[in-house]
Amino acid sequence: MNNLRPTRTYVSSAILWLYSSFTLFVLGYMTYQSFRSKKELLSNTFGWPDVFGFANLKKLFAEADFLRYLFNSAWILIATLAAIIMLSSMVAYGIGKYRFRLKGAVLIYFLIGLMFPVQLGIVPIFLLIRDMGLLNSQWGVALVLASGLSMPVFLLTTFFEKLPNDLYESAKIDGAGEWTTFIRVMFPLASPVIFSICIIMSVQIWNQFFVPLIMLQSEDNKTIPLMIMKFTNNLMYNIDLAMVGSVMATVPILILFFLFSGKVLEGVASGGVKG
Amino acid sequence: MTWFKKRPFLWFILPGFLLYSLFSVYPIFSAFQISLNQWDGIGAKTFVGLDNYGELFGNKELFSQLTGAFRNSVVLFLLNAFAVLPAQLYMAYLLYSGIRGHRFFQAMIFSPQFIATPVIVFMGTLIFDGNIGVFNKLLEAVGLGEWTRPWIGLPELGIFIVWIMVAWSGIGVGMIFFLGAMKMISSEVMEAALLEGASYWRRFFSIVLPQIKTTVLNMLILTYIFAMTMFDFSFILGGVSGGINRSVDVMALFFYRIAFGDNSAVGGTMNVNAMGMGTTIACVMFAVIFIVAVVQVILTYRRTED
Repeated sequence: MNNLRPTRTYVSSAILWLYSSFTLFVLGYMTYQSFRSKKELLSNTFGWPDVFGFANLKKLFAEADFLRYLFNSAWILIATLAAIIMLSSMVAYGIGKYRFRLKGAVLIYFLIGLMFPVQLGIVPIFLLIRDMGLLNSQWGVALVLASGLSMPVFLLTTFFEKLPNDLYESAKIDGAGEWTTFIRVMFPLASPVIFSICIIMSVQIWNQFFVPLIMLQSEDNKTIPLMIMKFTNNLMYNIDLAMVGSVMATVPILILFFLFSGKVLEGVASGGVKG
Repeated sequence: MTWFKKRPFLWFILPGFLLYSLFSVYPIFSAFQISLNQWDGIGAKTFVGLDNYGELFGNKELFSQLTGAFRNSVVLFLLNAFAVLPAQLYMAYLLYSGIRGHRFFQAMIFSPQFIATPVIVFMGTLIFDGNIGVFNKLLEAVGLGEWTRPWIGLPELGIFIVWIMVAWSGIGVGMIFFLGAMKMISSEVMEAALLEGASYWRRFFSIVLPQIKTTVLNMLILTYIFAMTMFDFSFILGGVSGGINRSVDVMALFFYRIAFGDNSAVGGTMNVNAMGMGTTIACVMFAVIFIVAVVQVILTYRRTED
């Protein structure tokens, strides 16, 4: 839409540049500093490292047991994501493709979750998980996070409702049952939407702070965000680990984002339009 | 069984329905029920009716913590509503009009969203640190050396420091929503306005803004819910106590402090009634959110009816 350009482009792009360069600065600063030793970090803001090396990274793996946190985070991510994708696509398909009386009410029931952040019900959730004996285990966290179905259900229901009925009927005529139709025909068709949900939810789950903080108490089970918080709690002692841990937590996700940024932004925006 | 056979959709909906009901909907009602009890979470529950609510508003210490936390949450909401939201709209409009490099800017503005909160707070404390902070070095470099100070340690700035971090990391989400809504505006309308000679900003206020009004209102309510339930920034920056003089305390942190206290299984500064008083605060938070949300939904609904 070239003809819609603003008249004073310079001022406007200056603002965008300012913001973007600040973001770039923070990321670059973080990555750069992660190569410097604790002594250098605490004594001098800028300046070259004495030796440019991976000492901090080695320390993170050797002393801070980074692999354990990584494993815990990955565990929760995979279990939660699998559950969310499976459950939300089933629910959305049920609401979107079948006609029944309480259809609207069921959809609204799933959408009200957008209004109840997990913070509000966390005490009963905590007690529930405790009574199930899942406190301090990845299962508990995964269960709680997987129940956040509102957003995926909303996105997928919109998709399934728009899907032409012919596809559904021709699958029926070919003799496919309800489940075969769903698994073999409908689920693959929804894969673009599912893909963007995957990315959005992954980031949310990966960076989730509140639920793991409450559910996971022993150091053995904690996730990466909790690890970084542990380092920053005693910053003067752990600044090198905090730095390199932050990089390890951020950079891989950002690389993924830039690879898929078109898809991600599309997926987010499509959820906001009807909102 | 035939009843189920006739309703195949039930098999699709039920599993998700059960999990969602158990962990997302039931807790809200359960919280209200627990809030009517005096309970430490382990021992016996004592039904006390609305006493917890009475104590929350009557106990001087609790009430001052509540109002302090509420004030900070409101400040956060107002700053987001009156500073971040217009900025998001402005940025979205710039990107919508296809400014040079809009794809790059879009990705750059959205990317802080992907950084975990502890990392953001860590970077924030480093930038605003008194000794090694970049911000102070910058002030010195431009000749404002006498303005350098330990920004993080100043209680009167507490919530504003939190807000800067929140704003930087969150600005992209709203912007993407607005951009998505703007892209739905039919191009004929925009072209007609262009032919009529409407200026850049005239088009924004007369066409774009009215067309995406619903999205703006939705975003406003999401901003509100976010401000009322924001927890991690304050917790990581100020700890359980909410920083020096509770300067970064917010509603969700106050709730956490009472219910879970010092991060032990069932801890809390008011151990004898951690769960009772904790859920009471959660219910007050819920009421505060719910009332505003309902009013907003009614207003939006009425406006679209016209």
